[in-house]
Amino acid sequence: MADGRKTFAVSLVTPEGAAFEGEAEMLIVPGAAGEIGVLARHAPLVAMLRAGSTRVHVARDDVREFATGPGFFKVEQDRALALVDDAVSATDIDDERARRQLEDARAELERLDRGESEADRWQLEQRIRHAENQLSVSGRV
Amino acid sequence: MATVQEYKRRIRSVTNTRKITRAMELVAAAKLRRAQARIEAMRPYADTMRELIAGVGRAAGSGSVRLPLLQQRESPSATLVIPLTGDRGLAGAFNAQVTRRTFALERGLKDEGQSVRFVGVGKKGRSTLTFRRRELDGAFVGFTDAPAYADAQAIAHRAAELFVEGEVDRVVLVYNTFVSALTQTVTEQEILPISAEILETDEEKRRDDALRGDFIFEPEPEEILVRLLPVYVETQIYRALLESAASEQGARMTAMRNASKNAGELIDTLTLEMNRARQAEITQEILEVVAGADALA
Repeated sequence: MADGRKTFAVSLVTPEGAAFEGEAEMLIVPGAAGEIGVLARHAPLVAMLRAGSTRVHVARDDVREFATGPGFFKVEQDRALALVDDAVSATDIDDERARRQLEDARAELERLDRGESEADRWQLEQRIRHAENQLSVSGRV
Repeated sequence: MATVQEYKRRIRSVTNTRKITRAMELVAAAKLRRAQARIEAMRPYADTMRELIAGVGRAAGSGSVRLPLLQQRESPSATLVIPLTGDRGLAGAFNAQVTRRTFALERGLKDEGQSVRFVGVGKKGRSTLTFRRRELDGAFVGFTDAPAYADAQAIAHRAAELFVEGEVDRVVLVYNTFVSALTQTVTEQEILPISAEILETDEEKRRDDALRGDFIFEPEPEEILVRLLPVYVETQIYRALLESAASEQGARMTAMRNASKNAGELIDTLTLEMNRARQAEITQEILEVVAGADALA
């Protein structure tokens, strides 16, 4: 191809449905040991992902960014597949709402520490991490 | 015999009830479609997850059987039972059949000499369990008509915690699987320990792998598997939550349709009786008028 890089199939899948499905030139995912960038014809790979930012470079000037939860990543035969807990498109992140969720979860956690709440501690901690991740991704855009 | 006024009042009240049951039927139908769409939406994730686990399991080799979540314990002495119920009633036998099966399961396990522990999911299940003085190792409520993946994660985390710490040797889900709006079947599903079968694959797959060449694993396959197995439990629970949500809406839809039908029949009977009462009243009045005229003549 003369005018661009070769593309490959990219799927960003969550239990609640696919967040992205299509062809892209490059994919950057937050690997457990650092970001992983993948181009077409990448060697087969299986990796773990941490929460962070996933960027799909559909074309040179069309980059879609997602705040993604922890998950797994697989590349095989010109097909890249990211399986994550949760993916929110950077354009859909509502800072206000994320901040409110963060505050609510923290307040609930404090109530739990004082023994006034029956919420699940682990779930609250996850919710905090989730909101923080969204805020950190939106802060970069 | 009741007066025409009383019949009128009763008919009005039943008509209002029918409006409510009709509305609930429609709401349940809409929610059912949404729940079914979410089951469809999770399928690609669940399928790829299984493929991934099988692939990583193959790469990790026999060493993986020693992972804690795969540990089959000989002569289990404690079982964790997780009944999935709804937050609300008015759904026919939906909640009752899960709790009934849960207590039957408990009796069976106790007869085998096992101790039984519970985690409640859904307000209905929680209240039945506490009413019967069962101690709960946790309760998750407030999301059953639209469960999120995060809810499944929280339940999975608690179950895995109790299992890994050796508090329980098995974890069983009891829930309604969705067959159709008319039929929901109660199922028991063992989610822990994870059956080693999910790591096994046929010869064909193995040959495919060999053709494709080796995957690079980052980190080592064993390490990835340690993280993958809890995710597998999460997806199992998530699927069960979605099945249960669809069943709940299906059961409610059917129950409300029956209620609307019964209300209609009741209105017909009451209208008939009201007319009869009205005629009796008129006849009575005529008789009185005639009797009065006779007396004057």
